[in-house]
Amino acid sequence: MFNSELFEKLVSIHSPSGDEENIRDIIKKEIEDYVDSIEIDRLGNLIAKIEGTGPKIMVAAHMDQIGLMVTKIEDEGYLRFTNIGGINPYNILHQRFVFKDGLIGIVSKNGKADMKNLKLSDMFLDIGVKDKNEAEKKVSIGDMCTYLSKYQEDEQRIISACVDNRIGCYMAIEAIKSLKDQKSENELYIVFTVQEELGLRGATTAAFGIEPDIGIAVDVTGSGDTPDDEAFAIKLGNGAAIKVKDRGIVVDPKMKNYMIDLAKEKNIDYQLEILEYGATDSAAMQLSKAGVLAGVISVPTRYIHSPVETIYKKDLDQSLKLLVELLRDENIKELI
Amino acid sequence: MSIKEKLITLSEASGVSGYENEVSEIIKKYFSEFTDEIYEDIMGNVIALKKGNGSGKKIMLMAHMDEIGLMLSNIDKDGRLRFSTLGGFDPRTLIYQDVIIHSKNKKIDGIIVPEKPTKSDGKAVMIPDLRIDTGYKKDEIEKIVEIGDIITIDRKVVELQNNYLSGKTFDDRACLGSLLIAGEELKKFNHDLDVYFVASVEEEVGTRGAATGAYGINPDMAIAIDVTFGRTLELAEEESVEMDKGVGFTLGGNIHHGMRKFLMKTAEEYSLPYQIEITPGPTGTDARSIQITRQGIPTILMSVPLRYMHTSTETISEKDVISTGKLIARFIAEIDDERLEELLCY
Repeated sequence: MFNSELFEKLVSIHSPSGDEENIRDIIKKEIEDYVDSIEIDRLGNLIAKIEGTGPKIMVAAHMDQIGLMVTKIEDEGYLRFTNIGGINPYNILHQRFVFKDGLIGIVSKNGKADMKNLKLSDMFLDIGVKDKNEAEKKVSIGDMCTYLSKYQEDEQRIISACVDNRIGCYMAIEAIKSLKDQKSENELYIVFTVQEELGLRGATTAAFGIEPDIGIAVDVTGSGDTPDDEAFAIKLGNGAAIKVKDRGIVVDPKMKNYMIDLAKEKNIDYQLEILEYGATDSAAMQLSKAGVLAGVISVPTRYIHSPVETIYKKDLDQSLKLLVELLRDENIKELI
Repeated sequence: MSIKEKLITLSEASGVSGYENEVSEIIKKYFSEFTDEIYEDIMGNVIALKKGNGSGKKIMLMAHMDEIGLMLSNIDKDGRLRFSTLGGFDPRTLIYQDVIIHSKNKKIDGIIVPEKPTKSDGKAVMIPDLRIDTGYKKDEIEKIVEIGDIITIDRKVVELQNNYLSGKTFDDRACLGSLLIAGEELKKFNHDLDVYFVASVEEEVGTRGAATGAYGINPDMAIAIDVTFGRTLELAEEESVEMDKGVGFTLGGNIHHGMRKFLMKTAEEYSLPYQIEITPGPTGTDARSIQITRQGIPTILMSVPLRYMHTSTETISEKDVISTGKLIARFIAEIDDERLEELLCY
């Protein structure tokens, strides 16, 4: 059953890369009764441990999100900004953004900006003040804001900002809860990572500290089921996506085939994913120390890095099922 | 088996980045002819140890065994296949090539074709506009292949004049050949250093095997062996080295000066040929990752000249492969425990 109350709570939290404090607190409260221990490492990764005697499996779900950072306050009170993570100027034009304290800004563009070649440097945030003086009372250089998310769902879909990657956090939380009654011998480190959008930075240090035998990232992936976009063989509604490769990883065929076999055995709908851009925390885990066997379960998503990221509940359900089955599978030790 | 036969076998084996299994089995067999133990690490690097007689100081010799290749990414309505790439391809080298699709149960032949009619404007058809035609209809091919199947260029080695060999994947299988020569030569010498021969994985997608391999072995010094641009008419002198004139020594920040100077001295002492190359920053080879592993590993790069890089007609001279291997062996034999300390001091 989809816990929409939890997911809505997760997407409504402000958590740009580098300031994940708010979401970390929420997740910590949500899971603390279900795990054996919780640690927050030096970078801010939230590491929940479920004891076991079997192989060490690390799950990475990044809890940061893309956003904007204020770089300059103009005399008229408008704010110039830079990007936190992958921001497309066309996606943010005339969208609402929210700061940590709740202040709302609207993104617009200079009067003479070239719409054919829109750049962030030609854009500004309007926070509704009359001049620089008044603006400075509300914001400082370095303050960050994120999409003001409007959560919506229907029978089929979930639509929100930062589905990337609150959906991964949601899956990790729900997996923790369902594993309480289905314990296995596997030793689990469920990690809610920081700064993925800045280059997999949290997962890098978390994996170094944990030294897992197996690393699984849960994240979103794109889709190729919108008009004139058929290069990508992923469709919403066709099930969990099992990663084959992206810019950061070629998943070991041993891991890929294991996931396929597990999905078949448990009657989970799946599709195989080759993502031509982007990478996930799996890449950082794979290359940690002398190497880690790593894989990815992805939720097919339309309009990534926009305020209307869209997924299907069916795919979420199948992806979560695959994650839980993998984490409780004692045969997974045969992979290492 | 002669070194030429081994080079041909290695070149014709399949081993696209992340899917090195076939070439990995071959190189294990060849390494076993002169090493004491062989293992594979988690990423799939093949690591073979030839023990020395010293105090256990380690040198790592690394040449990558992966090759650039293609991966099936989708099936069009008419049954033609779309593909993604692993490693860097010039699209001009792909059109109308014969390929092999390595599907789970059988290998299928195909040809790379343009999606739309080609124009005679001299512009290359880019990779998103290329397809693979197998002759199968969609409903037939769907039953055989799967998204993620590996695709390689179908190419046998051709022997040219003057002991030149031409084929796919001499980047970097030529350098595996040099490692095999070095291993055989080392049998003749008494050496202090423990020698780790490594056939690394996933170099072509970002020197990934080198990072984890070097971390696991934790050597005292390392040599990456890779190919470099052999001179042809279109390449400037400062961007290439000559064929048949021996290995290239790279100079630049990626390279440890003490080791490099000693390598040059060794080459001169034994009359083995070498040439100089310049790369000011990190090189595009395994050396870039090895050097910054753990607290840092003194690393040098040796490069075998190769013409027509990243095509299926990569051309090498057997002579360069052999002299490179001989020099590596001499270098190792010259370094006793005492000299090692000397070399690594600043």
